[in-house]
Amino acid sequence: MKPVLEFLNISRSYKRGVVVLKDVSFSVGQGEVVALLGRNGTGKTTLINIALGLVKPERGEVRVFGMSPKTNAAAIRERIGYASEDGALRGGETVGELIAFHRKFFRRWNDALENELLNRFGLSRRDRIRRLSNGQQRQVGLLCAVSHYADLLLLDEPAAGLDPAARREFLETSIQLLNREGTTILFSSHHMTDVERLGGRIVLLDQGTVRLDRDLDRVRGEVCVAIVPRALAPNGDVFQHAAGCLRVRAAQQDWHVVIEGAPDDVRARLAGLIRNERIHCAAVPLEELFVELVGSERQEDL
Amino acid sequence: MDSDMQIYITISMQIFINPGAELSIYRQIMRQIVESIASGQLPRGEKLPSHRELSERLVIAPLTVKKAYDELEALGYIETQRGRGTFVCQSLPKVDRSEHLDKIERAARQLLSLAYLGDIHFSDLMKILKDQDSEMMQEASRVKEKA
Repeated sequence: MKPVLEFLNISRSYKRGVVVLKDVSFSVGQGEVVALLGRNGTGKTTLINIALGLVKPERGEVRVFGMSPKTNAAAIRERIGYASEDGALRGGETVGELIAFHRKFFRRWNDALENELLNRFGLSRRDRIRRLSNGQQRQVGLLCAVSHYADLLLLDEPAAGLDPAARREFLETSIQLLNREGTTILFSSHHMTDVERLGGRIVLLDQGTVRLDRDLDRVRGEVCVAIVPRALAPNGDVFQHAAGCLRVRAAQQDWHVVIEGAPDDVRARLAGLIRNERIHCAAVPLEELFVELVGSERQEDL
Repeated sequence: MDSDMQIYITISMQIFINPGAELSIYRQIMRQIVESIASGQLPRGEKLPSHRELSERLVIAPLTVKKAYDELEALGYIETQRGRGTFVCQSLPKVDRSEHLDKIERAARQLLSLAYLGDIHFSDLMKILKDQDSEMMQEASRVKEKA
């Protein structure tokens, strides 16, 4: 798969030296859909802004369609569509004015797609932006992001704050675009069910580094969570050193161990380590995995 | 495809997915298609919806549908005929009998524990099994008649 977007050893810190991204590397192939996950403040937006050329990395390099935003900003922007949670819709009072403003920036514009999306969303060009619902404003943002034949969509929490029905409509449109245009997508989201519907692969950022980068279909078969009473293993380090261990987390009376392998194999391996069979092991849904990998420790009861 | 056929497919291919479940979406699709084939609701030779159709109906990525179809094809349940679409195979794969019996035994234990929990007697459980069996047979023959 030809990479459309490549992050190569990207590091970046805020002013005052707070490190946001530390040596982040991954790439997104042609036609791939990658979900960028992580807690708030882990650098997802910074990474997307680096791909857009809005933020420069301190170290490392980003390549979009094989080019660097440093030297080919215009050529790259022409082929990228971008929408975000707080994507302020500037450039017009009405939907029609806003679209007219946006299309001026691009050489090509897909009128048929624009009309189709307006119809689907039940929007008129005369509608005033300020009068639209939150969900409708996001739909206008998506329309502007895709109608210039974007080859790569960067969506920064595009459906945050929308009600479930509006989120589903947003997903339906994204999936139809995927089917028809074969668009490559990098999107960030906190809605794990949306991620499972749309995503092909997840990249989980934690404290500025890539914690997990894997095909979604393989996550469940290859990673599981083992729950071991802390009474059986006073020191969690015994699991930390087990092969394939991704995290050990104290959760009240138990250790939660996120580890690579199928549940039965993992149970046998860990039981061997502590010479005790009282281990519960299961493949878990993505939401649980997210919490187990990046959630905080819970040492004591309240 | 005429409109009659369209309705027929929606009836025989009812797939529900639950993105938050423990089983990944492509496995949920695989399991339901195999169950529909086993129960006769999805007869041999039946055409399946295209990747695109099913992806839009279930609101999931087209690659997820492709993955489910690819694995079912590798297992010998369905086949893709170039330019025509994907169909349920005329002859289905032979299952490994002893492996399959193991699975059934495990399922039987689960079923029995469920029954014991609800104070349901063995004879009642047998009746439920019989009723379900005849219901599935009837459904299958209805599908056959329609075809």
